[in-house]
Amino acid sequence: MRGTDYVLKRVGFAIVTVFVAVTINFVLFRLAPGTAVSNLSRVPHATQQLRHALEVQFGLDKSKWQQYVIYLKQLAHGNLGISYENEQPVSTNLRIALINTLPMVTLGTVFAIVFGTFTGVIAAWRRGTKTEGLTVSSALGFYAMPTQWLGLMLIIIFAGVLPTGGMTNEFLLNPPFWTHVKDLASHILLPALTLGLVLYGEYTLIVRSAMLETLGEDYILTARAKGLKPRTIVRKHALRNAMLPITTLIALSLGYIVAGAILIETVFSWPGIGRAVYEAVLQRDYPMLEGAFLVLTFSVIFFNLVADLLYFKLDPRITE
Amino acid sequence: MRKRRLAALPLVGAALVLGIFAATATGSGKKATSGGVFRLGTASGIDSLNPYVAFNQDAYSTFEYIYPVLVQLNSHLHYAPFFARSWKSSNGGKTWTFKTQPHAKWSDGKPLTAADAAWTINTDIKYQKGGAANEAGLIAHIKNATAPNATTLVVHYKQAAGNVLGQFQQFFILPKHIWAQHIGNKGTGLKTFANPAPVVGSGPFNLVKYTKNQITIFQPNPTYWGPKPKVAEFGLQQYTSDDAMVEALKTGRLDAIEAVPATTMKTLRSAGFVVSKVPGLDQTDFIINSNPKKKHHRELLNLKVKEAFDHAIDRKKIVSVTFLGAARPANSIIPATTGSWHNPHIKTVSFNLKLANHILDKLGYKKGPGGIRVAHGQKMSYNVITPTDVQSIPRTFQILQTDFAKIGVQLKQQALDSTTAFTKMSGPNNTYQGFDLAMWDWTALIDPDFMLSVVTCAQYGGWSDTGFCNKHYDKMYSQQQLTPNQTKRRQIVWKMQSYLYKQRPYLWLANDDSVSAVSKKWAGFKNTPQGPFNELNISTLTQVHQK
Amino acid sequence: MSEASLFVEAPPEAGTKSSRGFLLRTLRHQPAAMAGALFLVSMTVTAILAPWIAPYPLHEQVGPVFGPPSWQHLLGLDDGGIDMVTLLIWGLRTSLVVGFAATFVSMVIGGTVGVVAGYFGGGIDTVLMRITDYFLVIPDVPLMIVVAAIWGPSLFHIIIVIGILLWTSTARVLRAQVKSVRERVYVKRARALGAGHTRIVVRHVLPQVAPLLIASTVLTIAVAIFDETALSFLGLGDPSNISLGRIIENAFERAAISTGAWWAIVPPGVLVAMLILACSLVGGSLEDALNPRLRVAHLSARTFRLRPLVGRGEDAL
Repeated sequence: MRGTDYVLKRVGFAIVTVFVAVTINFVLFRLAPGTAVSNLSRVPHATQQLRHALEVQFGLDKSKWQQYVIYLKQLAHGNLGISYENEQPVSTNLRIALINTLPMVTLGTVFAIVFGTFTGVIAAWRRGTKTEGLTVSSALGFYAMPTQWLGLMLIIIFAGVLPTGGMTNEFLLNPPFWTHVKDLASHILLPALTLGLVLYGEYTLIVRSAMLETLGEDYILTARAKGLKPRTIVRKHALRNAMLPITTLIALSLGYIVAGAILIETVFSWPGIGRAVYEAVLQRDYPMLEGAFLVLTFSVIFFNLVADLLYFKLDPRITE
Repeated sequence: MRKRRLAALPLVGAALVLGIFAATATGSGKKATSGGVFRLGTASGIDSLNPYVAFNQDAYSTFEYIYPVLVQLNSHLHYAPFFARSWKSSNGGKTWTFKTQPHAKWSDGKPLTAADAAWTINTDIKYQKGGAANEAGLIAHIKNATAPNATTLVVHYKQAAGNVLGQFQQFFILPKHIWAQHIGNKGTGLKTFANPAPVVGSGPFNLVKYTKNQITIFQPNPTYWGPKPKVAEFGLQQYTSDDAMVEALKTGRLDAIEAVPATTMKTLRSAGFVVSKVPGLDQTDFIINSNPKKKHHRELLNLKVKEAFDHAIDRKKIVSVTFLGAARPANSIIPATTGSWHNPHIKTVSFNLKLANHILDKLGYKKGPGGIRVAHGQKMSYNVITPTDVQSIPRTFQILQTDFAKIGVQLKQQALDSTTAFTKMSGPNNTYQGFDLAMWDWTALIDPDFMLSVVTCAQYGGWSDTGFCNKHYDKMYSQQQLTPNQTKRRQIVWKMQSYLYKQRPYLWLANDDSVSAVSKKWAGFKNTPQGPFNELNISTLTQVHQK
Repeated sequence: MSEASLFVEAPPEAGTKSSRGFLLRTLRHQPAAMAGALFLVSMTVTAILAPWIAPYPLHEQVGPVFGPPSWQHLLGLDDGGIDMVTLLIWGLRTSLVVGFAATFVSMVIGGTVGVVAGYFGGGIDTVLMRITDYFLVIPDVPLMIVVAAIWGPSLFHIIIVIGILLWTSTARVLRAQVKSVRERVYVKRARALGAGHTRIVVRHVLPQVAPLLIASTVLTIAVAIFDETALSFLGLGDPSNISLGRIIENAFERAAISTGAWWAIVPPGVLVAMLILACSLVGGSLEDALNPRLRVAHLSARTFRLRPLVGRGEDAL
């Protein structure tokens, strides 16, 4: 059946891509000059013995091919290796980092989707008016701002009012529930807002152009000729059909958001996966880097797959 | 209507997200009692709680507060009793006997005795090529250690060593009953043990909470045998952004900052904070590859060329522009802050472009096209490797670049992260052929042994970033290490500094101050050359208290 | 940044064949895009003339650290006492160089892949599209970080790595267009007459896809500039060439905000945003003018009348 064919093909492709990504990640990092060992062995009180001990311990004394095979074997068991920097399992480090990033990113994305859709629909509906001009201009404005710069601007504006760094006020030990929630909310607001504003611009434009394309279709003309009210047409027909490109484009961008959070996390000292990637690069923490890349690539592949399947489900006319 | 439904989404979503968040991110530890919570902000942080793994300064300062150390450095930078109440050396300096604190306990109630000290020393000796490699430098020349009774520690040296107290001042005694079970194969287990909070230790504080890259919380240790801290709790919070950290201080979310960015000193003072500037132990340097086997640009091995470069450095400008006055010109590998270890006869090289030009002219290096001199057929145009994690370097480099251009030498910056930088400098198989010039910084210790070691031949591939290897110097180095008489040792250390002054593997730029800031609501917050939160002694955080 | 078309605007009159005419005509209908184009041109000219029009020397300290704006220094001084206007002009130059060069790299790769895949179809098309899909899936910012950190942050490496990440959307767009052009009658006739592939591609296919290529190019420049500021912010920019991203990073590293030196951090960001905005306006309007599906809208809220979009250019946007 063509439908199943399509689904199987997309899933199969996704799996192959993951494997290719895994291999290329390994190659990329092992070819790099400088290993974690040279960094870790520059410690106070160090001697020559340390370097050799570290090399043996991290398996860096084996051939590249052997290291690759070991890496694949461990991956099959869900073992992402041990971080060079703090000697803990990479999967634990990544899990903690991801748990920290996801709420912030989710909040920002939800904000962007909701407001983006809202303003996008309004801009399309009020085509040719000043409202449209205003919404599109502001969307473009936010779209064009460098993420980290926007974050810094928000810090300047909100300096005394909201905390400008960290995830919670860690000095509160065992706070009452509502104090804790208020504290978390006050810390997550600025980073999420930064992400939300940057994405909102993009989503407004996506929604608007999708809506306008839909509004140009013949069946809209038919509906109008039939005497349906414009509002009904927009809600019941245009928006529903515009959902297809909107959803797929949003799903596609979701895959990249986690990676894009690096800039925000650096500005706001947010202990998430973006920052973990950045610090792993500086420390040459290969296991962490390979693990993080895998997670990020996997999320992109996953959301691409979701977008493909959604597209298929929403539009049965699709052909490859 | 679709739009209204969508509008409800963010509220539901936010509530859900925060709810889950609140449930998972719970606090720990007892509620803080009166005495206040002292919150310190830092830009660096603690990389690991395991002394065999950690290498950030903040980690070492932490260990100073939670583990017993035999001696500490008092405010006059002299060795003072800590866990060891007294000590004496005998047998020509080959045997050292320490009398340790009686009736001491670890934070879990188990007794803390000299046996723990002996065990730590012997374990480090046994696995110094494996898991305990981190500590190998500290137990160099020790044969073994014994504890004939609970308050006596005897350390037997193979040869009379000159820096015993200096090494033990950095040596953290670990609880045998916790660590003995984590040795693993050839001691590798020592490095993989996370040593999570609450850490079993014995110091004025217990480490009760640790979230990497975020927060570390300490509470006073009720079983501590020394003076109790006045504060009820103290925390170290890590920031990736200096701006965010300074904002936090200004808005009352922090009580103090460990290292104040030079550009914000004035702002913080006018905002009413106590900004303390103390000569520090950190020095920035300009590195000239001094590998005698160097193949390219051998004119850099010429002592006269190095001298010319030295005269092209405007140290006053570096101090005022890069550090905004919070530094002083540097002139020796051992900074003046170490007290009598610094050779006072060494004078800072003068900034004299005319003299520099004159020296290079006399060497016959004529200026060619673009005003760049030619030495032995090659342009005097060099890449300068700079590590990206030393904040003061970019600005300092620009000052040097402009001035060196005036003496006909072209400098080009090659910014690399510290790992890549060091790998490039040491080169494959530690041959030190891959670079000409670099810039970096060093944080010295009080005892000069460590800093003097970094230019020895033995440190190739270890600490050496100059490729300097000189038999005469190495002889002096082992001499000072094995001279127990500190006065005689000092003479040798001074001689070594004069020698390096002429050999110039480093051109020392600035010795920056340790600048800290604290809110006026707190008293007793002491700054030291190593910063307020340091590895020298425990006075800062045991004495700080609310006004 | 996504591939979505940013605009829905009026197309030029039907029957136009010349690309250059098309470009100017499209822009003339949309004042905002025109303004964007003028801004880009004037910024490029400023960048080219940097050595002559920069008011102060780039490396000389001309005042106190973080000196505030004054009549001599309209945008104040940075943390080295260097004039901000001078820094912005030179920074603009580097940012534009990176933007243009990286885009050129990605255009060459993307254009080739797109044209070859669209023209030849079949197995070649499938393979090339798979490769494209793989590149699409790489997380771009992490990859840029890794490459810049590992290979060293020289301008050359940065240009290459950004270029390698950006070619995919161009390839896809071009492929679709080439496919449709290939089916046109005159191309088939040329093949029948025995014309070689190269000749057909160069003389018939390329002129038809050129407008789309230009639109894609301009949009890619925006992303390239953004990527460069991201890399610089993370400390991976080329230190010997001051770029707008590095100016922001420098201010961040030296605590400009806490010192109250807003002039060190606000202007460079505004300039970057305006560059990206201008590119988006120009590229977006070109792209949408080429999209036939956007020419007519049957519904407008204002008058509830059926009304075509053609001729609405002047008060749209």
